[in-house]
Amino acid sequence: MNVPIHFDETWEESFLTRVENDGPWSDWNIYNLALKAEKHLMIPSFEGLQAPKFLPELQPLPHQMEAARKVIERMNGKAILADEVGLGKTIEAGLILKEYMIRGLAKKVLILVPASLVTQWVAEMNGKFHIPAIAYRKNYSWEKTDVMVSSLDTAKRSPHREIILEQSYDFVIIDEAHKLKNHKTKNYEFVQNLKKKFCLLLTATPIQNKIEEIFNLVSLLKPGHLGTYEEFKEKYKKEKNRVNDDHLKELINKVMIRNRRKDTTIQWTKRHIETVLIDFSKEERELYDHIAGSRKQYGQIFNHTFSILTLEREACSSKEAVFVTLKNMLKNNKEPEKPLEKFIRTTMEKIEKIQINSKAEKALELIQSINDKVIIFTEYRATQLYLQWFLKQHGISSVPFSGGFRKGKKDWMKELFQKHARVFIATEAGGEGINLQFCNHIINFDLPWNPMRLEQRIGRVHRIGQKKDVIVYNFATKGTIEEHILKLLYEKIDLFERVIGELDDILTRLDICSLDEHFADIFTRSSSVGEMRVKMENLTAMIELAEKMKEAE
Amino acid sequence: MQQMEIHSYLKQFFMTTGCEIEKETEDYLTVQLTCEMDKMLMNRPFYWHYIEKTGGIPEPQKITFITNFSTEKNSVKGERIHFGSPRLQQIFHAAKKMGGFIRLYENQPGREGKHTALYPWLCLNLKISYICDRRKDFFRSLSMNLINGMIVDDFHRKLTDKNVPLVPKIPDFAFTFSPLFKPESGIRRIKQFVEQEILRDDHSWATEARKRRKKDMKLLDSFFEHTEEKPERYFVEKEVIFNQYEPKITVSIINGGLFYLSQKFLQMNKKKYNS
Repeated sequence: MNVPIHFDETWEESFLTRVENDGPWSDWNIYNLALKAEKHLMIPSFEGLQAPKFLPELQPLPHQMEAARKVIERMNGKAILADEVGLGKTIEAGLILKEYMIRGLAKKVLILVPASLVTQWVAEMNGKFHIPAIAYRKNYSWEKTDVMVSSLDTAKRSPHREIILEQSYDFVIIDEAHKLKNHKTKNYEFVQNLKKKFCLLLTATPIQNKIEEIFNLVSLLKPGHLGTYEEFKEKYKKEKNRVNDDHLKELINKVMIRNRRKDTTIQWTKRHIETVLIDFSKEERELYDHIAGSRKQYGQIFNHTFSILTLEREACSSKEAVFVTLKNMLKNNKEPEKPLEKFIRTTMEKIEKIQINSKAEKALELIQSINDKVIIFTEYRATQLYLQWFLKQHGISSVPFSGGFRKGKKDWMKELFQKHARVFIATEAGGEGINLQFCNHIINFDLPWNPMRLEQRIGRVHRIGQKKDVIVYNFATKGTIEEHILKLLYEKIDLFERVIGELDDILTRLDICSLDEHFADIFTRSSSVGEMRVKMENLTAMIELAEKMKEAE
Repeated sequence: MQQMEIHSYLKQFFMTTGCEIEKETEDYLTVQLTCEMDKMLMNRPFYWHYIEKTGGIPEPQKITFITNFSTEKNSVKGERIHFGSPRLQQIFHAAKKMGGFIRLYENQPGREGKHTALYPWLCLNLKISYICDRRKDFFRSLSMNLINGMIVDDFHRKLTDKNVPLVPKIPDFAFTFSPLFKPESGIRRIKQFVEQEILRDDHSWATEARKRRKKDMKLLDSFFEHTEEKPERYFVEKEVIFNQYEPKITVSIINGGLFYLSQKFLQMNKKKYNS
C-alpha cells in the first residue's frame, strides 16, 4: 500500500503533560458525550449522502437528491446543473456543497452569482443549509472568509481579482453560468483561472445559440473532456444549436445534469383557466369607441412615442388609467395642436360620464364568492390605486405591490398579504421578486402583450410548494382589442394550460429580444385589425414550430 | 441522531456541566447556564470582558431548547434543535473540548489485609479517516495493559457494557501496580498496532482515486497537446487535480486516558486477544 498515514500528535502532548501534572482530568460523563458526538459525526461510507441527516427540515425532492448523488459519486464534484426553470438548482447546489463540507473535503468556498441574487443566496445557504455563507462587503477579507458570496462583476474587478486568483478554493459555485458561454470574455477568463477542486455551474439554458457554448462551459470544468476547441469545431460544425450526435450527448451527460419537468416525480398542481368576458356599460363603451374610432381620424397627429392603442388598452382597464395618460400628454405638450386638444377634451368628457367600472364590479363579485386570498394583476398603476380604493369601499383589505419595491419592502408586503389582507394588487410580476405559493387564485385584470409576462405572473403562484390547483381568471372586455389578444394569441397557443416553465423553454428557442419587438410591432404599427390578425397568426405559427422542435428533441 | 436521543444528550450535557435544568417536558427543556457555559456557548466575549473589567454581577443566560417540534406548543419560545443545527454542533464541540483526557479507577474497595490490586490500562479512542476526493471514517477503541503489553480491542464498549464502576479517586484499600510500560510507549504500541491493521486493509479506494486522477490528467494534457508553450493555467490545473484526488489516511485521537482496573477485567479478555 502506498498511502501516507498521518498520526495526530496534539493529543499525545497534552495527555503526557497531564500525566506529569496529575491532571486536570475530564468527567466520565463528558468523556462519553464527547465520544458519542464524534461517533455521530463520522462518515460511515464513501458513497451516499450524509447531508439529509443534517438537514431534517429541508426535505429535498427525489430528483434533487439524485442529482446530488450523481454529482458526487459519478462526476467527482464537477458538474453543470442545468435543470429547467423552477426545479430547484439552488437546492441541489446547496446539498452538494453541504455534503462536501460535512465530509471535511470543502472548507474554502466561493459562490459567484448575479448581484441581485447575492442576499438571497446568503439567506438560503444560512437558513436552509446552515452553511455560514457571508456576502462580500467592502473591506471584507477574501483570504479569511471561508464561504464567500459575491457577484461575478465585483470579483473579477481589481483589486479583488488578484487576491481571489491567489486563493485555493475547495469549492466554487457559479449561478447563471450562461454568462460564461463566450470564451473570449473577461468573465470566462477569470473563472478559468480560479483554483477550484470542486465546481458547479448553474444554468437553465446550457445552449442558447451555438453549440460552442456547451464546449466552453465543459472546458471550464474539465478541460479536454470535449477535446480541444479546434477538434470540437471541426467535428460538430454541423450541429447548429442543438446536440444531435449520440456520442457528444453521452460525453456531455457525464458532466451535466438536466432534469426536465416531465421527468420529475413532482406532482404539479393543475391550472384552471377561466376566461371572463365582460360587457362594457353604455358610457364605458362610448369612451372606448371614441378612442378606437379616433385611430383613423387623428392617426397622423400622434407622434411615435405615443400610440392610440395604449389608450385603447387602458380604456379596457379603467377610466383612471386613460385619465392619467391624457394628463401626461397635456403636460408634455404645453400647447397642443388643435385636433389633439379637441381629442383630449372630448375624451375627458366621455370619462366624466362614466359611473362604474364593469371589470371592477365583476372582480368584486368574484372575490366575494371565492372566499379566499386573491391576487389581481394589472398593467396600470392608476388602475391599481383605483382598485385598492374600490375594494376598501366594500370592506375588503388589499396590499398594493410593484416590482420597483426594494427587497425588504417586498418581503414586508408579502407578509402583510399573507397575514392580514384578502387581496394583493400587483402592477408587475417581473423578476425574481416574490413567491406567493400560499395563494391559488389569480385575476388578470388586463392582459399584457407578451405571453412571457403572463407566464411570470402565474409563475409567482404556480411553483414548487403550491399545494392546490391554481385558478386563473382572465378578464377581457367584449368587442375590444383585449378580446383579440385573448383569442388570437393566448388561446391559440394554449398558453394558460401549460405546465410551469414550459413556455419559457419554447420561447428561448426563438430569439427572445425580437419577440418583444414583434409584439410591439403587431400592436402599435398595424394599420388595421385585419393586419394585426395576420401578424398574430404568423407569430403563433412560429411559436408552434418552436414547440414542435422541442418535442422532437 | 433521533430527536429523543438529542433531548437526552442535551440533558446529560447540561447536568454534567452544572447547569440547572429549570423546566423539562417531553418536547423541550429550559436551562439556566453557568457562567462557564455561557462563555462557551453564547458567543458574547464583549459582555464577559465588560463584566470582568467592571466587576459587575454576571448574569448568565437562560435558554430553552425545543427538541420535539412536531407538536410544538406555540406558547414555548426557544431554539429548535436537530442534528446538524449549529447549536448542537457547538455543544458537540464543547463536549469534545472538555472530554478529551481521563483517569479513572475501578471502584473495588478491598478490606484491611486484602487490598485490591488495580492494573493500569492506556486507552485510545481513535478516528481513522480514508480521504481522497471522497471520505470514509472508522472508529476504533484500543487499550493496552501497561503491565503485560496486551492490547484489547473495542475497549470502550466493553467498559460501558459491563458497567464497570469507575471513580476518579483510588478507592479505599486498593493499590495500583506501577506500569512497566510508560504511557508514551503505550501510545506508540497502539499506533503501531493500528498501522499494521491499516496496512492489511483493502485499499482499492486509493487505487480508484488515482485512476480517476490519471483520467483527468490525461484529458488536461490532451487539451494543451498542441500548445507549444504551456500557459500557467495548465500547471495550476495540474496541481489542483493532483490534490483533489490524492489519497491519504489520517488517524486522530478523539479521547483517551488511563484506567486502573481489577484482575477481573483482565481475565474477561484474556482468551480472545493477545498482541
